[in-house]
Amino acid sequence: MKKNIAALSLLLLTTATVAVAQEKASPLEISGSVDTYYKYDFNKSGNIKTYFAGEQNSVSLGMIDLALKKTTGKASFVGELSFGPRGQYESIPDAAGGYDPTANGFNIQNLYVNYAFTDKFSMTAGYMGTFIGYEVISPAANFNYSTSYLFGSGPFQNAGIKGTYAFSDKVSLMVGLFNEWNQYRASRGVSSLGGQLMISPVKGWTAYINGLHGLDGYGNYSTVIDLTTAYQITDKVKIGLNAADLSAGDDKFGYSGVALYPQYAFTPSVALGLRAEYFNYKGISGGPSASVTSFTLSGNIKSGGLTFIPEVRFDNDKDFSQGFVKSDGTTLNKSAAQFSLAAVYSF
Amino acid sequence: MKIVPLLVLLLGFSMLLGAQETAQLPKDETGKYLYYEVVNTAIPQDTLQIRVQQFIQKQKLKPVVLASGKQLVASGKLVIRKGAAMLSHPSGEIAYRFYFETNGGKYRFWLSDFEFFPYQKDRYGNFVPSTTVGIPLETDPKKWNVEQWEDYRLQTSKYATAFAARLKDHLLHKTVPAPQPPEKKVITKTW
Repeated sequence: MKKNIAALSLLLLTTATVAVAQEKASPLEISGSVDTYYKYDFNKSGNIKTYFAGEQNSVSLGMIDLALKKTTGKASFVGELSFGPRGQYESIPDAAGGYDPTANGFNIQNLYVNYAFTDKFSMTAGYMGTFIGYEVISPAANFNYSTSYLFGSGPFQNAGIKGTYAFSDKVSLMVGLFNEWNQYRASRGVSSLGGQLMISPVKGWTAYINGLHGLDGYGNYSTVIDLTTAYQITDKVKIGLNAADLSAGDDKFGYSGVALYPQYAFTPSVALGLRAEYFNYKGISGGPSASVTSFTLSGNIKSGGLTFIPEVRFDNDKDFSQGFVKSDGTTLNKSAAQFSLAAVYSF
Repeated sequence: MKIVPLLVLLLGFSMLLGAQETAQLPKDETGKYLYYEVVNTAIPQDTLQIRVQQFIQKQKLKPVVLASGKQLVASGKLVIRKGAAMLSHPSGEIAYRFYFETNGGKYRFWLSDFEFFPYQKDRYGNFVPSTTVGIPLETDPKKWNVEQWEDYRLQTSKYATAFAARLKDHLLHKTVPAPQPPEKKVITKTW
Protein backbone atom coordinates (compact mmCIF):
# COMPACT_ATOMS: atom_id res chain seq x y z
CA MET A 1 0.00 0.00 0.00
CA LYS A 2 2.78 2.41 0.97
CA LYS A 3 4.60 1.53 -2.26
CA ASN A 4 1.48 2.28 -4.32
CA ILE A 5 0.93 5.64 -2.63
CA ALA A 6 4.59 6.54 -3.11
CA ALA A 7 4.49 5.58 -6.81
CA LEU A 8 1.25 7.51 -7.39
CA SER A 9 2.63 10.58 -5.63
CA LEU A 10 5.83 10.42 -7.68
CA LEU A 11 3.79 10.12 -10.88
CA LEU A 12 1.74 13.18 -9.91
CA LEU A 13 4.89 15.11 -9.17
CA THR A 14 6.46 14.10 -12.50
CA THR A 15 3.36 15.02 -14.52
CA ALA A 16 3.05 18.39 -12.84
CA THR A 17 6.75 19.13 -13.33
CA VAL A 18 6.53 18.43 -17.08
CA ALA A 19 3.43 20.62 -17.35
CA VAL A 20 5.30 23.72 -16.22
CA ALA A 21 8.42 23.11 -18.28
CA GLN A 22 7.58 26.10 -20.46
CA GLU A 23 7.10 28.51 -17.54
CA LYS A 24 9.52 31.27 -16.62
CA ALA A 25 12.65 30.12 -14.80
CA SER A 26 14.48 31.85 -11.96
CA PRO A 27 18.28 32.25 -12.05
CA LEU A 28 20.30 29.21 -11.03
CA GLU A 29 21.19 29.69 -7.37
CA ILE A 30 24.67 28.66 -6.30
CA SER A 31 25.47 28.71 -2.60
CA GLY A 32 27.48 26.85 -0.03
CA SER A 33 29.98 27.06 2.78
CA VAL A 34 33.54 26.21 3.73
CA ASP A 35 34.72 25.56 7.29
CA THR A 36 37.90 24.84 9.17
CA TYR A 37 38.73 24.70 12.90
CA TYR A 38 41.28 24.27 15.66
CA LYS A 39 40.48 22.06 18.63
CA TYR A 40 42.32 21.57 21.94
CA ASP A 41 41.21 19.05 24.57
CA PHE A 42 42.26 19.93 28.14
CA ASN A 43 43.05 16.26 28.86
CA LYS A 44 45.23 16.22 25.73
CA SER A 45 43.14 13.53 24.08
CA GLY A 46 40.41 13.60 21.45
CA ASN A 47 37.83 12.94 24.16
CA ILE A 48 34.67 14.64 22.98
CA LYS A 49 34.02 13.25 19.54
CA THR A 50 31.00 15.57 18.95
CA TYR A 51 30.53 13.58 15.74
CA PHE A 52 32.74 16.10 13.99
CA ALA A 53 36.03 17.53 15.24
CA GLY A 54 37.29 14.53 17.18
CA GLU A 55 41.01 15.38 17.05
CA GLN A 56 43.36 16.88 19.61
CA ASN A 57 45.54 19.97 19.14
CA SER A 58 44.90 20.07 15.43
CA VAL A 59 43.98 22.56 12.76
CA SER A 60 41.50 20.47 10.80
CA LEU A 61 39.13 20.70 7.90
CA GLY A 62 35.36 20.60 8.04
CA MET A 63 33.90 20.48 4.57
CA ILE A 64 33.06 22.39 1.46
CA ASP A 65 29.35 22.40 0.80
CA LEU A 66 28.04 23.21 -2.68
CA ALA A 67 24.37 23.68 -3.44
CA LEU A 68 22.41 24.34 -6.61
CA LYS A 69 18.79 25.39 -6.73
CA LYS A 70 16.55 26.35 -9.59
CA THR A 71 12.88 27.21 -9.77
CA THR A 72 10.81 27.01 -12.94
CA GLY A 73 7.25 28.11 -12.39
CA LYS A 74 5.96 25.99 -9.54
CA ALA A 75 8.68 23.36 -9.85
CA SER A 76 12.10 23.48 -8.24
CA PHE A 77 15.05 21.28 -7.43
CA VAL A 78 17.85 21.37 -4.86
CA GLY A 79 21.11 19.48 -5.24
CA GLU A 80 23.63 19.85 -2.40
CA LEU A 81 26.87 17.92 -2.03
CA SER A 82 29.60 18.13 0.57
CA PHE A 83 33.25 17.14 0.37
CA GLY A 84 35.78 16.98 3.20
CA PRO A 85 35.88 15.11 6.52
CA ARG A 86 32.67 16.58 8.01
CA GLY A 87 30.61 16.01 4.89
CA GLN A 88 32.41 12.91 3.76
CA TYR A 89 33.70 10.08 5.92
CA GLU A 90 32.34 11.60 9.17
CA SER A 91 28.83 11.62 7.70
CA ILE A 92 26.73 8.73 6.52
CA PRO A 93 26.20 7.37 3.96
CA ASP A 94 29.35 7.55 1.84
CA ALA A 95 29.39 7.53 -1.96
CA ALA A 96 28.77 3.78 -2.03
CA GLY A 97 25.66 4.19 0.10
CA GLY A 98 27.16 2.66 3.25
CA TYR A 99 29.52 3.82 5.98
CA ASP A 100 33.18 3.13 5.34
CA PRO A 101 35.54 5.65 6.99
CA THR A 102 38.27 4.68 4.56
CA ALA A 103 36.17 5.42 1.50
CA ASN A 104 37.00 8.78 0.01
CA GLY A 105 33.61 9.71 -1.33
CA PHE A 106 31.19 12.54 -0.74
CA ASN A 107 27.95 13.09 1.09
CA ILE A 108 24.66 14.19 -0.43
CA GLN A 109 22.99 16.73 1.85
CA ASN A 110 19.93 17.33 -0.32
CA LEU A 111 18.87 16.02 -3.69
CA TYR A 112 15.18 16.49 -4.36
CA VAL A 113 12.53 17.96 -6.60
CA ASN A 114 9.59 19.97 -5.37
CA TYR A 115 6.31 21.03 -6.92
CA ALA A 116 4.01 23.64 -5.38
CA PHE A 117 0.55 22.65 -6.56
CA THR A 118 -0.91 25.73 -4.86
CA ASP A 119 0.31 28.43 -2.47
CA LYS A 120 -0.70 26.08 0.34
CA PHE A 121 0.18 22.59 -0.88
CA SER A 122 3.49 21.25 -2.17
CA MET A 123 5.09 17.86 -2.65
CA THR A 124 8.75 16.91 -2.45
CA ALA A 125 10.52 13.72 -3.54
CA GLY A 126 14.16 12.72 -3.18
CA TYR A 127 16.80 12.80 -0.45
CA MET A 128 16.25 15.56 2.08
CA GLY A 129 17.77 16.90 5.27
CA THR A 130 15.85 15.27 8.09
CA PHE A 131 12.86 17.05 9.59
CA ILE A 132 13.81 15.63 13.00
CA GLY A 133 15.92 17.62 15.46
CA TYR A 134 17.43 21.07 16.00
CA GLU A 135 20.95 20.81 14.58
CA VAL A 136 22.11 19.85 11.10
CA ILE A 137 25.30 18.63 9.41
CA SER A 138 26.21 21.95 7.77
CA PRO A 139 27.99 24.21 10.29
CA ALA A 140 26.61 27.26 8.48
CA ALA A 141 23.13 26.48 9.80
CA ASN A 142 24.15 25.76 13.43
CA PHE A 143 25.01 28.27 16.16
CA ASN A 144 27.42 25.95 17.99
CA TYR A 145 30.23 24.37 16.01
CA SER A 146 30.36 21.07 17.88
CA THR A 147 27.11 19.15 17.78
CA SER A 148 24.79 17.69 20.40
CA TYR A 149 24.31 14.06 21.41
CA LEU A 150 20.73 14.38 20.18
CA PHE A 151 22.01 15.39 16.74
CA GLY A 152 24.54 12.57 16.69
CA SER A 153 21.84 9.98 17.32
CA GLY A 154 20.25 10.82 14.00
CA PRO A 155 18.51 10.69 11.67
CA PHE A 156 20.50 13.00 9.38
CA GLN A 157 18.58 12.67 6.13
CA ASN A 158 15.50 10.91 4.85
CA ALA A 159 14.87 9.69 1.32
CA GLY A 160 11.21 9.61 0.44
CA ILE A 161 8.23 11.57 -0.72
CA LYS A 162 6.29 14.05 1.36
CA GLY A 163 3.41 16.45 1.05
CA THR A 164 3.12 19.70 3.01
CA TYR A 165 -0.09 21.65 3.49
CA ALA A 166 -0.06 25.13 5.02
CA PHE A 167 -3.37 25.83 6.72
CA SER A 168 -2.13 29.36 7.42
CA ASP A 169 1.12 31.18 8.20
CA LYS A 170 0.76 29.76 11.70
CA VAL A 171 -0.05 26.09 11.08
CA SER A 172 1.19 23.54 8.56
CA LEU A 173 1.30 19.77 8.35
CA MET A 174 3.76 17.49 6.55
CA VAL A 175 3.19 13.79 6.01
CA GLY A 176 5.62 11.55 4.15
CA LEU A 177 6.72 8.02 3.30
CA PHE A 178 10.43 7.33 3.66
CA ASN A 179 13.16 4.72 3.28
CA GLU A 180 15.16 3.78 6.35
CA TRP A 181 17.29 6.64 7.71
CA ASN A 182 20.35 7.99 5.92
CA GLN A 183 20.09 5.73 2.87
CA TYR A 184 20.03 6.75 -0.77
CA ARG A 185 17.94 3.70 -1.61
CA ALA A 186 15.75 1.41 0.47
CA SER A 187 17.08 -1.98 1.50
CA ARG A 188 13.72 -3.22 2.77
CA GLY A 189 11.28 -1.05 0.84
CA VAL A 190 9.61 2.19 1.76
CA SER A 191 9.44 1.40 5.44
CA SER A 192 8.78 4.57 7.39
CA LEU A 193 5.90 6.94 7.95
CA GLY A 194 6.71 10.41 9.20
CA GLY A 195 4.93 13.63 9.98
CA GLN A 196 5.56 17.14 11.17
CA LEU A 197 3.11 19.62 12.65
CA MET A 198 4.35 23.20 12.61
CA ILE A 199 2.66 25.77 14.79
CA SER A 200 3.56 29.38 15.34
CA PRO A 201 1.44 30.63 18.26
CA VAL A 202 2.93 34.14 18.36
CA LYS A 203 5.27 36.14 16.15
CA GLY A 204 8.80 34.84 16.53
CA TRP A 205 7.84 31.52 18.12
CA THR A 206 7.80 28.41 15.95
CA ALA A 207 7.40 24.84 17.17
CA TYR A 208 7.77 21.62 15.19
CA ILE A 209 6.27 18.42 16.57
CA ASN A 210 7.81 15.54 14.65
CA GLY A 211 7.19 11.82 14.53
CA LEU A 212 8.83 9.04 12.52
CA HIS A 213 8.02 5.36 12.69
CA GLY A 214 9.80 2.70 10.68
CA LEU A 215 13.19 1.24 9.94
CA ASP A 216 15.91 3.32 11.59
CA GLY A 217 19.62 3.71 10.91
CA TYR A 218 20.44 0.90 13.33
CA GLY A 219 18.44 -1.80 11.50
CA ASN A 220 15.50 -1.80 13.93
CA TYR A 221 11.93 -0.70 13.61
CA SER A 222 11.71 2.31 15.89
CA THR A 223 9.57 5.28 16.78
CA VAL A 224 11.06 8.69 17.37
CA ILE A 225 9.07 11.61 18.75
CA ASP A 226 10.75 15.00 18.60
CA LEU A 227 9.98 18.57 19.60
CA THR A 228 12.05 21.33 18.05
CA THR A 229 11.16 24.90 18.90
CA ALA A 230 12.70 28.36 18.87
CA TYR A 231 11.44 31.71 20.14
CA GLN A 232 12.97 35.03 19.11
CA ILE A 233 11.84 36.95 22.17
CA THR A 234 13.48 40.27 21.25
CA ASP A 235 16.01 41.34 18.63
CA LYS A 236 18.71 40.33 21.14
CA VAL A 237 17.29 37.30 22.94
CA LYS A 238 16.45 33.95 21.38
CA ILE A 239 15.79 30.63 23.04
CA GLY A 240 15.61 27.20 21.44
CA LEU A 241 14.64 23.78 22.73
CA ASN A 242 15.01 20.25 21.40
CA ALA A 243 13.56 17.20 23.13
CA ALA A 244 13.39 13.73 21.65
CA ASP A 245 12.67 10.13 22.54
CA LEU A 246 13.44 7.06 20.46
CA SER A 247 12.21 3.59 21.27
CA ALA A 248 13.49 0.75 19.14
CA GLY A 249 13.07 -2.99 18.90
CA ASP A 250 11.17 -5.33 21.21
CA ASP A 251 13.34 -4.34 24.15
CA LYS A 252 12.47 -0.69 23.67
CA PHE A 253 16.05 0.41 23.85
CA GLY A 254 16.89 3.78 22.38
CA TYR A 255 17.54 7.23 23.74
CA SER A 256 15.91 10.29 25.17
CA GLY A 257 17.30 13.76 25.65
CA VAL A 258 16.70 17.44 25.93
CA ALA A 259 18.81 20.43 24.93
CA LEU A 260 18.24 24.11 25.66
CA TYR A 261 19.73 26.87 23.48
CA PRO A 262 19.60 30.38 25.01
CA GLN A 263 21.32 33.03 22.85
CA TYR A 264 22.04 36.72 23.25
CA ALA A 265 23.01 39.04 20.37
CA PHE A 266 25.11 42.03 21.52
CA THR A 267 25.00 43.45 17.97
CA PRO A 268 23.76 42.01 14.66
CA SER A 269 27.29 40.64 14.17
CA VAL A 270 28.26 39.48 17.67
CA ALA A 271 26.30 36.90 19.67
CA LEU A 272 26.84 34.47 22.53
CA GLY A 273 24.95 31.23 23.00
CA LEU A 274 24.82 28.33 25.43
CA ARG A 275 23.78 24.75 24.75
CA ALA A 276 22.84 22.77 27.86
CA GLU A 277 22.06 19.13 27.14
CA TYR A 278 21.00 16.03 29.01
CA PHE A 279 21.12 12.78 27.07
CA ASN A 280 20.21 9.27 28.17
CA TYR A 281 20.99 5.96 26.47
CA LYS A 282 18.21 3.54 27.39
CA GLY A 283 19.41 0.19 28.70
CA ILE A 284 18.87 -2.83 26.47
CA SER A 285 16.48 -5.48 27.84
CA GLY A 286 15.94 -3.50 31.02
CA GLY A 287 19.64 -3.12 31.62
CA PRO A 288 21.18 0.00 33.14
CA SER A 289 20.95 3.18 31.17
CA ALA A 290 23.76 5.69 30.78
CA SER A 291 23.46 9.45 30.76
CA VAL A 292 25.62 12.39 29.71
CA THR A 293 25.34 16.09 30.46
CA SER A 294 27.01 18.67 28.31
CA PHE A 295 27.45 22.46 28.41
CA THR A 296 28.73 24.33 25.35
CA LEU A 297 29.34 28.07 25.27
CA SER A 298 29.84 29.50 21.79
CA GLY A 299 30.37 32.91 20.30
CA ASN A 300 29.37 33.97 16.78
CA ILE A 301 31.40 36.85 15.37
CA LYS A 302 30.36 37.71 11.83
CA SER A 303 32.15 39.73 9.21
CA GLY A 304 30.63 39.60 5.76
CA GLY A 305 30.23 35.94 4.86
CA LEU A 306 32.69 34.78 7.53
CA THR A 307 31.65 33.61 11.01
CA PHE A 308 34.20 32.92 13.75
CA ILE A 309 32.98 30.48 16.39
CA PRO A 310 35.10 30.36 19.56
CA GLU A 311 33.73 27.62 21.80
CA VAL A 312 34.32 25.92 25.14
CA ARG A 313 32.61 22.67 26.04
CA PHE A 314 32.34 20.61 29.24
CA ASP A 315 30.86 17.10 29.17
CA ASN A 316 30.09 14.92 32.19
CA ASP A 317 29.86 11.20 31.55
CA LYS A 318 28.97 9.72 34.92
CA ASP A 319 28.42 6.22 33.53
CA PHE A 320 31.64 6.07 31.49
CA SER A 321 29.71 5.48 28.25
CA GLN A 322 31.86 7.84 26.19
CA GLY A 323 35.32 6.51 27.05
CA PHE A 324 36.77 9.86 28.19
CA VAL A 325 40.37 9.48 29.42
CA LYS A 326 42.72 11.51 31.59
CA SER A 327 45.85 13.18 30.24
CA ASP A 328 47.80 9.90 30.58
CA GLY A 329 45.65 8.64 27.71
CA THR A 330 44.52 5.43 29.43
CA THR A 331 42.80 6.13 32.78
CA LEU A 332 39.06 6.57 32.33
CA ASN A 333 37.64 9.90 33.36
CA LYS A 334 34.09 11.05 34.02
CA SER A 335 34.50 14.46 32.43
CA ALA A 336 36.10 16.11 29.44
CA ALA A 337 36.58 19.70 28.37
CA GLN A 338 37.73 21.29 25.15
CA PHE A 339 38.27 24.59 23.39
CA SER A 340 37.78 25.10 19.67
CA LEU A 341 37.89 27.98 17.25
CA ALA A 342 36.11 27.50 13.95
CA ALA A 343 35.86 29.69 10.87
CA VAL A 344 32.84 29.15 8.64
CA TYR A 345 32.46 31.04 5.37
CA SER A 346 29.04 31.04 3.69
CA PHE A 347 28.42 32.17 0.15
CA MET B 1 36.49 57.00 -34.96
CA LYS B 2 33.73 59.56 -34.56
CA ILE B 3 31.65 56.90 -32.92
CA VAL B 4 33.95 56.70 -29.85
CA PRO B 5 33.08 60.13 -28.37
CA LEU B 6 29.43 59.38 -29.04
CA LEU B 7 29.68 56.09 -27.15
CA VAL B 8 31.45 57.83 -24.26
CA LEU B 9 28.70 60.44 -24.17
CA LEU B 10 26.00 57.78 -24.23
CA LEU B 11 27.74 55.85 -21.46
CA GLY B 12 28.03 58.98 -19.34
CA PHE B 13 24.37 59.80 -19.94
CA SER B 14 23.23 56.29 -19.05
CA MET B 15 25.36 56.35 -15.87
CA LEU B 16 23.75 59.67 -14.93
CA LEU B 17 20.31 58.21 -15.52
CA GLY B 18 21.22 55.16 -13.47
CA ALA B 19 22.44 57.35 -10.64
CA GLN B 20 19.20 59.31 -10.70
CA GLU B 21 17.12 56.14 -10.68
CA THR B 22 18.89 54.78 -7.60
CA ALA B 23 18.85 57.93 -5.46
CA GLN B 24 18.19 57.20 -1.81
CA LEU B 25 14.69 57.54 -0.40
CA PRO B 26 13.86 60.69 1.58
CA LYS B 27 12.97 60.53 5.29
CA ASP B 28 9.73 61.69 6.91
CA GLU B 29 9.42 63.98 9.93
CA THR B 30 10.01 61.01 12.28
CA GLY B 31 13.25 60.05 10.54
CA LYS B 32 11.86 57.01 8.68
CA TYR B 33 12.61 56.31 5.05
CA LEU B 34 9.57 56.53 2.82
CA TYR B 35 8.45 56.79 -0.79
CA TYR B 36 5.56 59.30 -0.86
CA GLU B 37 3.42 60.54 -3.72
CA VAL B 38 0.17 62.52 -4.14
CA VAL B 39 -1.62 62.04 -7.47
CA ASN B 40 -4.47 64.13 -8.87
CA THR B 41 -7.03 62.02 -10.67
CA ALA B 42 -10.46 62.10 -12.24
CA ILE B 43 -11.14 58.47 -11.34
CA PRO B 44 -14.00 58.10 -8.82
CA GLN B 45 -13.00 57.10 -5.28
CA ASP B 46 -14.92 53.82 -5.23
CA THR B 47 -13.26 52.77 -8.51
CA LEU B 48 -9.87 53.61 -7.06
CA GLN B 49 -10.62 51.48 -4.01
CA ILE B 50 -11.58 48.49 -6.17
CA ARG B 51 -8.54 48.89 -8.40
CA VAL B 52 -6.10 49.21 -5.51
CA GLN B 53 -7.56 46.06 -3.94
CA GLN B 54 -6.95 44.27 -7.24
CA PHE B 55 -3.38 45.62 -7.27
CA ILE B 56 -2.75 44.32 -3.74
CA GLN B 57 -4.00 40.90 -4.77
CA LYS B 58 -2.00 40.89 -8.00
CA GLN B 59 1.22 41.90 -6.21
CA LYS B 60 0.58 39.27 -3.50
CA LEU B 61 0.68 41.84 -0.71
CA LYS B 62 -0.91 40.95 2.61
CA PRO B 63 -3.68 43.29 3.80
CA VAL B 64 -3.09 44.73 7.27
CA VAL B 65 -5.92 45.89 9.51
CA LEU B 66 -5.04 48.99 11.52
CA ALA B 67 -6.93 50.22 14.56
CA SER B 68 -7.66 53.60 12.95
CA GLY B 69 -9.10 52.00 9.79
CA LYS B 70 -8.76 55.24 7.80
CA GLN B 71 -6.10 53.99 5.42
CA LEU B 72 -5.79 50.92 3.29
CA VAL B 73 -2.63 49.17 4.43
CA ALA B 74 -0.82 46.09 3.12
CA SER B 75 2.57 44.53 3.76
CA GLY B 76 5.02 43.22 1.20
CA LYS B 77 8.65 42.26 0.79
CA LEU B 78 11.55 42.82 -1.54
CA VAL B 79 14.03 39.94 -1.84
CA ILE B 80 17.67 41.05 -1.95
CA ARG B 81 19.89 38.91 -4.14
CA LYS B 82 23.64 38.50 -3.89
CA GLY B 83 25.98 37.74 -6.81
CA ALA B 84 25.82 38.12 -10.57
CA ALA B 85 22.39 38.11 -12.21
CA MET B 86 22.53 34.57 -13.59
CA LEU B 87 24.39 33.06 -10.64
CA SER B 88 22.94 34.63 -7.54
CA HIS B 89 21.01 33.62 -4.46
CA PRO B 90 18.77 35.47 -2.00
CA SER B 91 20.69 37.02 0.90
CA GLY B 92 17.84 38.74 2.69
CA GLU B 93 14.54 40.49 2.36
CA ILE B 94 13.25 43.97 3.07
CA ALA B 95 9.73 43.99 4.44
CA TYR B 96 7.66 47.15 4.03
CA ARG B 97 4.17 48.56 4.43
CA PHE B 98 2.10 50.13 1.68
CA TYR B 99 -0.39 52.85 2.67
CA PHE B 100 -3.15 54.18 0.39
CA GLU B 101 -5.72 56.96 0.89
CA THR B 102 -8.20 58.80 -1.33
CA ASN B 103 -9.49 62.33 -0.83
CA GLY B 104 -11.71 64.09 -3.37
CA GLY B 105 -10.03 64.31 -6.75
CA LYS B 106 -6.73 62.91 -5.60
CA TYR B 107 -5.12 59.96 -3.90
CA ARG B 108 -1.89 59.48 -2.03
CA PHE B 109 0.22 56.47 -1.20
CA TRP B 110 3.48 55.76 0.51
CA LEU B 111 5.84 52.88 1.25
CA SER B 112 7.46 52.91 4.69
CA ASP B 113 8.41 50.79 7.75
CA PHE B 114 11.28 49.17 5.85
CA GLU B 115 12.97 46.36 7.82
CA PHE B 116 15.79 44.07 6.72
CA PHE B 117 15.70 40.34 7.53
CA PRO B 118 18.95 38.49 6.75
CA TYR B 119 18.59 35.04 5.19
CA GLN B 120 20.18 31.81 6.29
CA LYS B 121 20.13 28.50 4.48
CA ASP B 122 17.88 25.95 6.14
CA ARG B 123 18.29 22.17 6.32
CA TYR B 124 16.64 21.72 2.93
CA GLY B 125 19.01 24.08 1.09
CA ASN B 126 16.51 26.94 0.90
CA PHE B 127 17.22 30.51 1.99
CA VAL B 128 14.87 31.64 4.76
CA PRO B 129 14.85 34.57 7.23
CA SER B 130 17.26 33.86 10.09
CA THR B 131 15.27 36.00 12.52
CA THR B 132 11.74 37.23 13.00
CA VAL B 133 12.87 40.62 14.28
CA GLY B 134 13.89 42.86 11.41
CA ILE B 135 16.52 45.60 11.41
CA PRO B 136 15.00 48.99 10.50
CA LEU B 137 16.54 50.38 7.32
CA GLU B 138 17.25 53.60 9.21
CA THR B 139 19.70 51.76 11.51
CA ASP B 140 23.23 53.09 11.30
CA PRO B 141 25.33 50.45 9.59
CA LYS B 142 28.33 49.09 11.40
CA LYS B 143 31.69 49.82 9.87
CA TRP B 144 32.09 46.37 8.35
CA ASN B 145 28.91 46.46 6.27
CA VAL B 146 28.46 50.14 5.30
CA GLU B 147 28.62 49.42 1.58
CA GLN B 148 26.25 46.47 1.87
CA TRP B 149 23.75 48.51 3.88
CA GLU B 150 23.91 51.39 1.41
CA ASP B 151 23.20 48.89 -1.36
CA TYR B 152 20.12 47.65 0.51
CA ARG B 153 18.87 51.25 0.75
CA LEU B 154 19.49 51.87 -2.94
CA GLN B 155 17.78 48.64 -3.95
CA THR B 156 14.80 49.64 -1.78
CA SER B 157 14.63 53.03 -3.46
CA LYS B 158 14.76 51.46 -6.90
CA TYR B 159 12.07 48.95 -5.94
CA ALA B 160 9.80 51.66 -4.48
CA THR B 161 10.07 53.75 -7.64
CA ALA B 162 9.15 50.77 -9.82
CA PHE B 163 6.33 49.82 -7.40
CA ALA B 164 4.89 53.34 -7.65
CA ALA B 165 4.99 53.25 -11.45
CA ARG B 166 3.19 49.89 -11.49
CA LEU B 167 0.56 51.14 -9.04
CA LYS B 168 -0.18 54.35 -10.94
CA ASP B 169 -0.37 52.48 -14.22
CA HIS B 170 -2.72 49.92 -12.71
CA LEU B 171 -5.02 52.56 -11.19
CA LEU B 172 -5.13 54.41 -14.47
CA HIS B 173 -5.79 51.57 -16.87
CA LYS B 174 -7.33 48.69 -15.02
CA THR B 175 -10.91 48.13 -16.07
CA VAL B 176 -13.29 47.46 -13.25
CA PRO B 177 -15.84 44.74 -13.93
CA ALA B 178 -19.34 46.18 -14.12
CA PRO B 179 -21.61 45.07 -11.28
CA GLN B 180 -23.70 42.10 -12.34
CA PRO B 181 -27.48 42.74 -12.48
CA PRO B 182 -29.47 40.56 -10.09
CA GLU B 183 -30.40 37.22 -11.61
CA LYS B 184 -33.93 37.13 -12.95
CA LYS B 185 -36.01 34.20 -11.76
CA VAL B 186 -38.91 32.73 -13.64
CA ILE B 187 -41.87 32.09 -11.37
CA THR B 188 -43.78 29.08 -12.62
CA LYS B 189 -46.15 28.62 -9.68
CA THR B 190 -48.41 31.43 -10.79
CA TRP B 191 -49.31 31.88 -14.45
